[in-house]
Amino acid sequence: MSSVTPARRLVSQNCRQIVTALHHCDLKSPATDGAQQGQVRQMAEETKSSSRPIWTGAISFGLVSIPVRLYTAVREKRLHFRTLHDQDKIPLKQKMVCPAHPNKEVHSEHTVKGFEIEKDRFVVVRQEELEAAAPKGGKAIEIQDFVELGQIDPLYFDKPYHVVPKPEGAKPYKLLLEVMEQTQRVAIAKVVMWGKENLAALRPLEGGMVLETMHFGDEVVAAKSVPGRQVMGKVDSRELKMATSLVDSLTTTFDPGKYHDDYREKVLKLIHDKAEGHEVVTRPTSEEEAPRGGQDLVAALEASLAAAKDSARGNGRVTEGRAAARNARHAHAHPGTHKRRRSA
Amino acid sequence: MSAAKARAAAKVTTAAAKRTAVAGKAPTTGVPLSNPDKVLYPAAGFTKTDVRNYYLGIAPVLLPHMEGRPLTLKRYPNGVDGPFFYEKRCPSHKPDWVKTTDVWSERNQENINYCVANDAATLAWLANLACLEIHPLLFKARKPDRPTSMVFDFDPGEPATLLDCLRLGLRMREVLSHFGLECFPKSSGGKGLHLWVPLNTPVTFEQTKQFSRAVAQLFEKQNPGQVTSNMRKDLRHGKIFVDWSQNDEHKTTVCAYSLRARSQPTVSTPLTWTEVEAAVKAEDPARLVFTADQVLARVKKKGDLFEPVLKLKQRLPKFTG
Repeated sequence: MSSVTPARRLVSQNCRQIVTALHHCDLKSPATDGAQQGQVRQMAEETKSSSRPIWTGAISFGLVSIPVRLYTAVREKRLHFRTLHDQDKIPLKQKMVCPAHPNKEVHSEHTVKGFEIEKDRFVVVRQEELEAAAPKGGKAIEIQDFVELGQIDPLYFDKPYHVVPKPEGAKPYKLLLEVMEQTQRVAIAKVVMWGKENLAALRPLEGGMVLETMHFGDEVVAAKSVPGRQVMGKVDSRELKMATSLVDSLTTTFDPGKYHDDYREKVLKLIHDKAEGHEVVTRPTSEEEAPRGGQDLVAALEASLAAAKDSARGNGRVTEGRAAARNARHAHAHPGTHKRRRSA
Repeated sequence: MSAAKARAAAKVTTAAAKRTAVAGKAPTTGVPLSNPDKVLYPAAGFTKTDVRNYYLGIAPVLLPHMEGRPLTLKRYPNGVDGPFFYEKRCPSHKPDWVKTTDVWSERNQENINYCVANDAATLAWLANLACLEIHPLLFKARKPDRPTSMVFDFDPGEPATLLDCLRLGLRMREVLSHFGLECFPKSSGGKGLHLWVPLNTPVTFEQTKQFSRAVAQLFEKQNPGQVTSNMRKDLRHGKIFVDWSQNDEHKTTVCAYSLRARSQPTVSTPLTWTEVEAAVKAEDPARLVFTADQVLARVKKKGDLFEPVLKLKQRLPKFTG
């Protein structure tokens, strides 16, 4: 269940992803008219603005504090679709509804967080209580230990971020980077991001630093606990030899550019072709811009005015406005109900 | 405004203000004013004290137009030449006697706590915030679904002028009267003209918005080349933009008798149609631009020309029935 704001954020992310995807696939822009191009330009700008830092803080290393900014190092390119009403192609809205009163929308201020301790039994936790438990540190990447990178299984890594020093942090940043490169160690740190405590590894990459958020040990499912993954018995030495030569023949250097998400590219091509072929549905303009029936009302008003002028010519006086208005009654459909709420 | 008048308008006794503040009631004698000599309109030498005194002087006619309405404040902490900001949420440091009201914001999915000014003390407090312009919402807090008026804002795109606005205002008056609606003009305080159509009857924003838009579009059709109902600035050149879109639960229009943040301390001033006709005839729109002192004198003579806006009950014609 999403409220309006996250949904909106999601939409802009989607636009961004599709545009980046389009660029990536080297497809021609589907935009043909000025308005659409304007939209694409705007989306391209969004792509640019997404290179804003997503976090600002400092690496705390002994007595030294190195002010840094974090930038996204991986951008997911999953395709997102909006869900439209099949009849009028208007994007659907999600509403929170209580099953006990299915006709009434429940607004966020009437929601509380409940932890389900067993089926249908909850402990209610207030926002203040959660805030009180939130990590206090904040804004610091606190180095705890240094370890060899090879000791950390890739399984532990979650999301990477580029670490960029602020000007005043440049010197100590460079120092820490060189130390890690020379000693072949990486730093294990705790970092509070968005109110949550994370484990992270700080490591050198191509002349700079990368912060990899990591899973805590108890989040990782122990391999042993998954049954049936260890097979008993011996491997035939001849088969092993054959398999080895097959592996050898397929061995190359890792080139990430070689692999593509074929499904996504196919779907993107489909979208592109549909856009080119003008198989585009436009969301009916919102109430603000031009409601359906707006022109009818203008026509009704106009007819009413004209009728008044005619009869004024006939009677030698101006007709009473309301009578003329009454004649034009029912020329316009009833407007939709108006949604708004106020609480005391 | 003379010093004597200023003193008469507001006797500042901070201690008294504090006493009443504790009681949670609006102080009757005065409200503290910081930096009283700060010039907020440099070209006119109009100070913060002058602003406060204007608002206290105009209070008897201004307050009925703001009473019970959520207010958007337009604040100019460093005067009209400095940066300004709109403030919807009533500042948290407000004295406890300043009334507020919650209005649900669909966009933010939360209540916005607006200031409400029902008394002169609140006006004095707003002046202390360097709130030069006061923009009320078109509804009263206790009936948030019901606009009390429908408004049109005539905004000239250069080189169109206030004179063009006045001419078209007269024509709009005719159109509206055909639909059985009386409207009342006020100057924007600058180059524009505002028309207020009092309703004071059960009506929704949906209805005022649809009707005002249709009227604006019809008006555009009747006066091509002179009028646009389209908000886009690049379509406005030399035309009068008839802004109907303020008929919205979230939009505000500057209050009658509010100061405007222009180089001179002008006021959005209620006018009579006779005055508008005379100004058009004489091709002298400037005579309809009034500053704070002039408005105080005018009100003394003419009373509140916008009084019917508060009381006149009118219904939109039933095109939407």
